Amino acid sequence: MKEAFRRLKIGVSGIRGVVGESLSPVLASDFAAAFGEFVGGGRVLIGRDTRSSGEMYENAVAAGLLSVGVQPVLTGILPTPSLQFAVRETAASGAIAITASHNGNEWNALKFIGPDGLFLNQTANDELLDIYNQPDSNYVTENRIRTEKCLPDAFRMHQEKILRSVNADAIRKKHFRVAVDCCNGVGALYSRKFLESLGCETVSIFDTWGNGFERPPEPVPAHLGALSECVRKHRCALGFAQDPDGDRISLVSGSGAILGAQDSALLIAASLLRNRRGGTVVLNIQTTRAIELVAEECGVRVLYSPVGEVNVTDAMTASGAFLGIEGSSGGIIYPAISMCRDSYAAMALVLDMLAARGQSIDALLGTLPRLASVSRKVICPSAQAGVNALRAVRERHSSRNPITVDGVRIDLSDGAWVLLRRSNTEPVIRLLAESADPAAAERLVEKFERELQGLLKK
Amino acid sequence: MRFLRLGNLGMRGVAGTGLTPHNVIAYASAVGTYSNGGRIAVGMDTRISSKMYRDAAVSGLLGCGAEVIDAGICPAPLLHHLVRRERLSGAILIGAGHHQAGWNALAPLSSRGSYFSNLQTQELLGIYHSGIYRSVPWNGVGKIHPRPEGLADSYLELLCTLVDAERIAARRFKVIADFCNGSGSVLADAFAKRFGLELIPINQILSGVLPHDPEPRPRTAMQVQSLIKVLNADIGFVYNSDMSRASIVTDSGETLSEEYSFPLVADHVLRLAGAGAGVVSNCCTTRTLDDIVRRRGGILCKGKVGQAHTIDRMFETGAVLAGDGSGSIALARGVPGFDGFLLTALVLESMAFDGETSSGLAARLPRYCIIKRAVPCSSSHAYSVLRNLRGHIFPDAVFSEEDGLRFDWQDGWAHLRASMTEPIVRMIVEWKTREKAEEYAAKVSSVLERVAAS
Repeated sequence: MKEAFRRLKIGVSGIRGVVGESLSPVLASDFAAAFGEFVGGGRVLIGRDTRSSGEMYENAVAAGLLSVGVQPVLTGILPTPSLQFAVRETAASGAIAITASHNGNEWNALKFIGPDGLFLNQTANDELLDIYNQPDSNYVTENRIRTEKCLPDAFRMHQEKILRSVNADAIRKKHFRVAVDCCNGVGALYSRKFLESLGCETVSIFDTWGNGFERPPEPVPAHLGALSECVRKHRCALGFAQDPDGDRISLVSGSGAILGAQDSALLIAASLLRNRRGGTVVLNIQTTRAIELVAEECGVRVLYSPVGEVNVTDAMTASGAFLGIEGSSGGIIYPAISMCRDSYAAMALVLDMLAARGQSIDALLGTLPRLASVSRKVICPSAQAGVNALRAVRERHSSRNPITVDGVRIDLSDGAWVLLRRSNTEPVIRLLAESADPAAAERLVEKFERELQGLLKK
Repeated sequence: MRFLRLGNLGMRGVAGTGLTPHNVIAYASAVGTYSNGGRIAVGMDTRISSKMYRDAAVSGLLGCGAEVIDAGICPAPLLHHLVRRERLSGAILIGAGHHQAGWNALAPLSSRGSYFSNLQTQELLGIYHSGIYRSVPWNGVGKIHPRPEGLADSYLELLCTLVDAERIAARRFKVIADFCNGSGSVLADAFAKRFGLELIPINQILSGVLPHDPEPRPRTAMQVQSLIKVLNADIGFVYNSDMSRASIVTDSGETLSEEYSFPLVADHVLRLAGAGAGVVSNCCTTRTLDDIVRRRGGILCKGKVGQAHTIDRMFETGAVLAGDGSGSIALARGVPGFDGFLLTALVLESMAFDGETSSGLAARLPRYCIIKRAVPCSSSHAYSVLRNLRGHIFPDAVFSEEDGLRFDWQDGWAHLRASMTEPIVRMIVEWKTREKAEEYAAKVSSVLERVAAS
């Protein structure tokens, strides 16, 4: 099982594998060449996070792009949202982000970004894979090989856009003292300066890079003890936690309370929903219902999307939504700034909210509906067994009109819900339940866990 | 044209159709596996495709856990020097040297700083063809390091231990140098300063575009020739794009055959070294060299064609000098590879010692008429073509097949060899007189063309 998990994974989150095992430089170069053919020439930006394998893949990707007559533009170590932003700003043909996001040191991945700054969706990915698997590549001869370029200051464009989109002066006047946990990722290069540009007195931790991650890179509560301690010790107004490539965000309140992804998303979403009133918000299917409750209160229409950034942004584009939320991973997509999960936009929006409301994070959170959530995972013997089991669950509970946007979600009459969904990254089915009553959420998950295990044994 | 060639010269081919980043990453991975990681330099010439292959090679090496020394645009002799000075595990030289535009190549250098020997090549290709390379986990992936400070200075310093820079500088030579927009350009100013030259560089733009065929020879020396008398220069040099070869234009405007670069240097080096000094060459270099070595009481050793063989043989036999008829030389005390800068310095030193002009030096050479031709012949076919000729032609000649076919007569010789780099058979004929040379060249090529066409 462990072995299978370490294999190469090709899907909507790009080409992901283990350094020195499944993700070889040759593979990276060949996929970059295929992507160059996919975008059909022009310029392709290359960005990477701080992983020690980043330079190796950066070189392989540049060579692959050059070989098909595309001009590679190296942006160096750059947050993924800044890379996506730069694609549109510079009218590039696309970009390749070299990052395994929240996965551990041993992983890396190529993520393909189209000319619109969005990740390739399933259809586009299928085309890319088709090009990759053609027996002949359209390598160009020397007279059509382009010259490699550098774009050293791509973050600045992104930062300026964010500062223009919030009330920067109001934030600066507050002189917030904040802590930031850079996760030894891209934040180590940018976050401190970014927060200081908003007048924040900034304390940073895990703010070096080059020697691996000093904390597990997923910004979940269990990994944010150091940030919580730092916030309390330095009496900060709040703390921000990032992942290695700067797309996810998680918050710690001034009292040191770790909010977790869902509550962090709720806090930011609530502020934007209440300012806006009306319009549409897209939530991925495993986002806390609390956001829906706030949306209802503000007269904002809610749409569900499958999990995965590109699925959310596709639904947002189709519906003209002003906000997208991936609650389960602390992803805030606010197209007024950028059409992607963006921890920098999120940090600015939180500070904007604090400056405008003059209340602490704890106080603001106290005004919002909160639901208890419980999650579990059940191991599947095979992908197909998982599919079959989920189908059976859906049929058994058809009277409750399950939502099948991604996996099977069953909503109960008291507002509680449970989601059963196959993981994109591991051979497991994840269960997630939410209820106002923590014990009820627990019971709900247990009930479906038993049901699922029974089905998988058959 | 699809073209890829693997051998002692490394991996070479036509950019895009034969030589691809895919192949290059695999080849660099084989090099990194061969050296078991370690520290490996990557240097390149100025060609447009070189940066692509540099990126690919760096990536392959890092993936093997090798630490990469990024030598950037680097003349071949400087890379030989770098490996030895920094005690590296090896290097990869990216650049097409004398090949026409559109080509490129990767040549691995061993920990000694020289090209891979036959045995090393065999081992390397064994790894390459197995497709099984050294791989390291995330925290073992190599890093890229800049080239060490003072590298160029230490190389020029080395040259100054081999030639008398002061005596050269005292003459304040005016030199025209055609760098063919190649990697020699980057060292031109420092070299000129060190030897007190008034250097007039032409084709010194790092554009990646070749101003002319990069093989140093009379017909590529036309630009230098057109300037030399106008500018009243003492001598002109034409280099290939990686600075391993040079041909000479004299102050009187004569474009010397590249064959004479080596004999000119040999004459000077042997005079200083004294009788009994060894010189290594290959089996198709001009007889002018034989005459010079004999005149100076040196010992000439001829071997197979190719820089790797020639340099190896120099070290094995304890010779002081090695070179070949393509306009290449190396000193045993110099860098372990052909060195166009050293060639330049030695020729200038020779002029300085004798108070001689370049045309005066050239006048002292016993001359032959040498004719070089290329007969198109597909690579796989070429070997059988040559095999079939063996024993059937020129029964009056002394025959040898150390490398290709060689026929020796009293007053001349002919040599036929399948090119290691292009789908051609190279023919060289040399005779005392032009008439005889033409006559034999016609004979040989008609036989060859007939067999090649059959």
